[in-house]
Amino acid sequence: MRVRFWGTRGSLPVAMRADTVRDKLVAGVLAASGRTFADRAEAAAFVDGELDFAVRGSYGGASSCVEIEAGDGAFIVCDLGSGLREFGLDAMRRAGGGHPRRYHIFLSHLHWDHIMGFPFFVPAFDPEATIVIHSGHPDAETALRRQQEEISFPVAFDWLRAKIEFVTLATDVPHVIGGVTVTLLEQYHSHKSYGYRFDAGGRSVVYSTDSEHRSDQMDTEERFEAFFAGADLVVCDTMYSLGDSVSLKQDWGHSSSLVAIDLCRMARARTLALFHHEPTYSDAQLQTIHAEAISYEALTRGEDAAVQVICAYDGLEVDV
Amino acid sequence: MDWNRRDTPDALVGRPQGRVDESNWSVFAAHLATAIADAGGRRFIIDLGGVDYMSSRGLRALSTALAAAKKTGVDMALAAPGPAMREILAISRYDKLFVVHASVDAALG
Repeated sequence: MRVRFWGTRGSLPVAMRADTVRDKLVAGVLAASGRTFADRAEAAAFVDGELDFAVRGSYGGASSCVEIEAGDGAFIVCDLGSGLREFGLDAMRRAGGGHPRRYHIFLSHLHWDHIMGFPFFVPAFDPEATIVIHSGHPDAETALRRQQEEISFPVAFDWLRAKIEFVTLATDVPHVIGGVTVTLLEQYHSHKSYGYRFDAGGRSVVYSTDSEHRSDQMDTEERFEAFFAGADLVVCDTMYSLGDSVSLKQDWGHSSSLVAIDLCRMARARTLALFHHEPTYSDAQLQTIHAEAISYEALTRGEDAAVQVICAYDGLEVDV
Repeated sequence: MDWNRRDTPDALVGRPQGRVDESNWSVFAAHLATAIADAGGRRFIIDLGGVDYMSSRGLRALSTALAAAKKTGVDMALAAPGPAMREILAISRYDKLFVVHASVDAALG
């Protein structure tokens, strides 16, 4: 299985401002003081090897959209956030090379940041494409049609050319979709959200975003441990610090890296991807949060197996 | 995790010992609730000097107790975290939720 992150921000897409780019360039130039580079390759090696990710790169700003390559070759995509636009363009390129034009979409929930990419999804205008939108919510079609009503968008849903189907999935049974076994778990979030577990070829990926793990429901967290059990990769909502998630931002429907790490440790999952980044956080802040999460995992590991903690960014690919 | 408690006229000092994790957070939470109920106008100090580490469920038990303490007018604070607990309090940002004293004496003073 291969997982591609097309959008990793929570709540609202963000774009890098000119002063942020300038600050990164200044930091890079300072780090290169006194160095000379014979060619572009040497310069690239310096950038890749000696500059922090927050200086040489960016976690990106598109909202939730994650592709999973697995199963029978159909596209599998979690959520329709603004990252979907880039995915759609790349999918059209791949479809031009012979990739099947069948798309299985899995919606965590229907909040705007998780569906806003669909009006800009080029494959929806492809008459040869079939798009199946799976959701735990029976009102997914209403949500997608509503955002393309004239008051919000100039292109009506009915003008789309692809064959579009909506399927409501039950949580209590596994579903075989596109050659992948898919299981859902209801999560705590406004209007509910659903986590998805994808199993294929002896590998497993869990997508669990917009999920609050409340202090007064800790005795029910075993069901998440069971859902994450033995997963090769768990993508988790880690939007806030634990302190914020239990105080100012309690009941906002999101969680922290600390809870995600503990759930993954108890589940014996191999890798955790921090996801659904707070839109106000800079690249430097996200890099710090990632480093702190790694420290916390080591401090609290005890005799348990290590959980590798990675920080998702737009463009990241992970093979599991 | 062991739990010891020391009562003074002005304060109640609880001292957890060992790890506070997924296996024992509910016991820890029960000790905190009992101590807050017994505080009766005294301060409640949690001596972290014997805690190896505390995972998120232990931390959430602490913040739940803090909310209960505020409701009942009990002044609750943390004291004497070792290096690991200091780091965990910083990473979790619980050092912004709680008053953290360097030592129990400083907390009592």
